[in-house]
Amino acid sequence: MNTLTVRFGPLSVRMPWRLILTNGVLLVLTAALVWSGLFRGSYPATPGDLLSALTGTADPVTSMILLENRLPRLATALGVGLAFGLAGEMIQTLLRNPLASPDIIGFSAGAAVGAVVTVVIVGGTAWVVPGALIGGFIAAGLILSLSWRRGVSPGQLILIGIGVTLTLGVLTDLLLTRIDTTSAAGVMKWLVGSLNARSWTDAGSLWAGLLFLGPLALWYQFMLGRIAFEQDVAISFGLRLNYGRVLTIGLAVALVGLAVAASGPLPFVAFVAGPIAHGLNGASRPTLLSAALVGALVTLSADMASQSLPDGFGLPAGVFTALVGAPVLITVLVLHSKRQRL
Amino acid sequence: MRSLTVRRVLFLVFLGLSAVFAGVLSLCFGVRPTQLSEVQSAFFAFDPGIAEHIVVQNLRLPRAFAALIGGGALGLAGALMQVLTRNPLADPGLLGVNGGAAMGVVIAIWAFGITAQSTLVLPALAGSAVAAGLVLLLGGTGRGPDPTRLILAGAAISALFLAFTWSILILSRESLDIYRFWVLGAFSDIRMDSLWDLWPAYAIALPLAAVAAFLLDPLTLGEETARALGARVGLARLVSVLAIVLLCGTTVSMAGPIAFIGLIVPHIMRSFVGADVRVLALASFLAGALLAIVADTFGRLILPGQEIEAGAMMALIGGPVLVAIVRTRRGVVA
Repeated sequence: MNTLTVRFGPLSVRMPWRLILTNGVLLVLTAALVWSGLFRGSYPATPGDLLSALTGTADPVTSMILLENRLPRLATALGVGLAFGLAGEMIQTLLRNPLASPDIIGFSAGAAVGAVVTVVIVGGTAWVVPGALIGGFIAAGLILSLSWRRGVSPGQLILIGIGVTLTLGVLTDLLLTRIDTTSAAGVMKWLVGSLNARSWTDAGSLWAGLLFLGPLALWYQFMLGRIAFEQDVAISFGLRLNYGRVLTIGLAVALVGLAVAASGPLPFVAFVAGPIAHGLNGASRPTLLSAALVGALVTLSADMASQSLPDGFGLPAGVFTALVGAPVLITVLVLHSKRQRL
Repeated sequence: MRSLTVRRVLFLVFLGLSAVFAGVLSLCFGVRPTQLSEVQSAFFAFDPGIAEHIVVQNLRLPRAFAALIGGGALGLAGALMQVLTRNPLADPGLLGVNGGAAMGVVIAIWAFGITAQSTLVLPALAGSAVAAGLVLLLGGTGRGPDPTRLILAGAAISALFLAFTWSILILSRESLDIYRFWVLGAFSDIRMDSLWDLWPAYAIALPLAAVAAFLLDPLTLGEETARALGARVGLARLVSVLAIVLLCGTTVSMAGPIAFIGLIVPHIMRSFVGADVRVLALASFLAGALLAIVADTFGRLILPGQEIEAGAMMALIGGPVLVAIVRTRRGVVA
């Protein structure tokens, strides 16, 4: 028995034990990271402090650090990681390509151009986030509409995505050479993605969107696995293929948009979450929950690493998402191949 | 070869002639426009007293050579890479060479204070060799490299190197100042002597790539079928990976990371010459050279007094072309 079957009246769900175990472990690890992020660090605190801060009886310093500083930052990191993980897994499954990531729909590339354009126009980095969101949605819309031919086909989408994304990427690089060094350094930091000094407004809008889109995405997992079949197979199942594909892309773009607004592009999280989750589950079907949790783990540990550096090395979290994610992906790859050979 | 129809041969000849023609024309354009007859006399009646002759011989000629061979190498490597990995998203830089070269360059600027663009060739070459070696170690054990593992390992290593690069860039303004120009990719700072240093690499890599194209061809039928037909899958993959790394690493260290040609040119060529790897590789070589030399020339002309780097021009030309071709022609989407 390596699967658990859960029945609710007429409905039943089959869940492999391994999946349950993986998700459980990931969940515990995530919780542990949040815990240590909240209570450890340069200003140690206890759960009791948090309680008294919540009820308003703690001293002002403790309550400011916990409530205004650490909680919103952790909430943002957690939400961003979950959103990138979900979006990455959805796109990789839809396009059936391990190299795909939400980047291929152009959101990140458009966001980067938008961000740099605001710097060129305004001269400072104040309008980076709105510019990025506008640029991102325009680019995603452009790629979708260009690849539309009586519906969306993955092959078409990938090629159009490459063309548009690369052109936008070069546009960013080109604009970067045309602004002064100080602004370039500022934009560079944003392009890498940072979780420094997040407020409740960042965390609030992120989680409001996530609480709406996340369950939708998880529910939709049932359909996603079949959409990824060969076109003919999927159609003969009676799936509304185009509807499903557009819904997947729409959900992924919305999730990435939320995350980018909160933290900047944070490269690599969306790309790495899916393959790691698959390796851990030993599964070929979509595992949205595991991917989301892996995304959260990578983001949280990257943020922690960026905070634990000595002063003067102000490296944003985006640098560490790759430093944390890449070795994990490599380990999973190596383990995976050893098992295959046995 | 049955796939070599008259139409395709004519197309290949047309590509080759256009590339040579564009190369000759590129000698005439620049900040200092030069008559074709003047260019001719720069070669056959060289006079060191005439500024045009110096410009043509010392600046424009190495630049044209570099664009032709560099662009061609990237196109060829891209065709091999896409066939090898059977993945339309795989660009040849994915084997780690771009990330490695970038890190080599940034370390050279940051730690050793190197600032001249032309001295960045060696650090770039060293960085890309290290990165590509790591990717091969991780992705290429057992019976020849496994494509899926290879590209995932490549993506992971590239990201790792890129993250190190970014952290240095954020810490050091001077590095960012040079890096942001290097990363665009350009042929403008190439002199004859650096071409002389690099030609042995191309002399090994190009024949190796030709062999790889022949070995890879049966693999388009799928791994099992290819094995059943007697193809040596492991050997084919090993030879192609080596050829790709060599072609790409050399070009990146010469001209900066130009991902564009390797990713786009093979897609475009497939719709003209079909899927036969040998023809596709040749067509991608010629088209890559053509695109690079055209982009390099246009970059000099488009803004008077300023120059747009060839790597950027290529993306600005090639991106819309790819989109237009995907939308109007059938058979591009595999």
